[in-house]
Amino acid sequence: MPSAVKDKSKRASALPQTRAKAPKIKFQADLAPSEDLMVRRLKAELEMASNSDFLADAVALFRWAVSERKRGHRIVSESTSGERKVLLFPRLERVAPELTLPQAEIAWTAAELENLAALATGKPAEPTEALIRAMRH
Amino acid sequence: MAVTIRRLEEFDEVESFDCGDAPLNNYLQRHAWTNQQKISIGVTYVALEQAAPRTVLGYFSLATSSVPRERFPKKYVRGLPPYDLPLILLARLAVDKRFAGRGLGHALLSEALKITLRVADEVGCRCIITDAYRDKVAWYARYGFIPIEGSAKNGPQRMFLDVRTIRVAYERGDTTR
Repeated sequence: MPSAVKDKSKRASALPQTRAKAPKIKFQADLAPSEDLMVRRLKAELEMASNSDFLADAVALFRWAVSERKRGHRIVSESTSGERKVLLFPRLERVAPELTLPQAEIAWTAAELENLAALATGKPAEPTEALIRAMRH
Repeated sequence: MAVTIRRLEEFDEVESFDCGDAPLNNYLQRHAWTNQQKISIGVTYVALEQAAPRTVLGYFSLATSSVPRERFPKKYVRGLPPYDLPLILLARLAVDKRFAGRGLGHALLSEALKITLRVADEVGCRCIITDAYRDKVAWYARYGFIPIEGSAKNGPQRMFLDVRTIRVAYERGDTTR
């Protein structure tokens, strides 16, 4: 073993081990030639040098899409002329909540809003007996 | 009487429904299905008896809404998260008068509140709001709905129930423990 390397490893072992780096996980994928070509083209378009960067960005985008669908939000693209297309991606639809209730507009007076804010920021009330009965399961 | 509660379906029998209030009858008979399926501005859940599984005995409608944070008075904004306040609107709840007094209103409200909790878990909501007829304020108050001051004196009373209160009630109502 070259002496420089030996020396370095000695020093390393003398340091406290609190800052150990998290191990990196290797990700391997089998791609069809067309998919490989697609990845290369996308990397070139996005000026990405490494597969790791490509994967990190793809995961970030996918993660965002999953969180939006989980909240019941639809993912829409809008053209410059205002034409809208909704993204329908079967795997994403699996995480969409079954309970999507439509959105309604409610008219509020200033006094109601003040009272609502006080209630929403205050300590929640204790449940009544009737409410506990209603929530039995 | 064995009652089930589910979403309104196209061929449910609604024409004979009569809760004694024309606007509530009219909503179920003329608008509920369209609003649910075609223009998506409210979802209606109906109570049905097993012996006549298409005849609606009672119903409620739900929608989500939110209040933009900037609309709240400044003194409260600090106590609120930096987002719009999401809430559920219990838009209507009615029971056919031929079936009144049998606990159907309780069963319908119970289901509406359980849905509210599920929505809170899945997409987030802070409270449930309803505009109660003045003669029904005491009934809602029994379940912990609190009047929101500032409603027009001659109109319905807007009422509030915190999701945190509903969650505590759900935990205390766990009969399986």
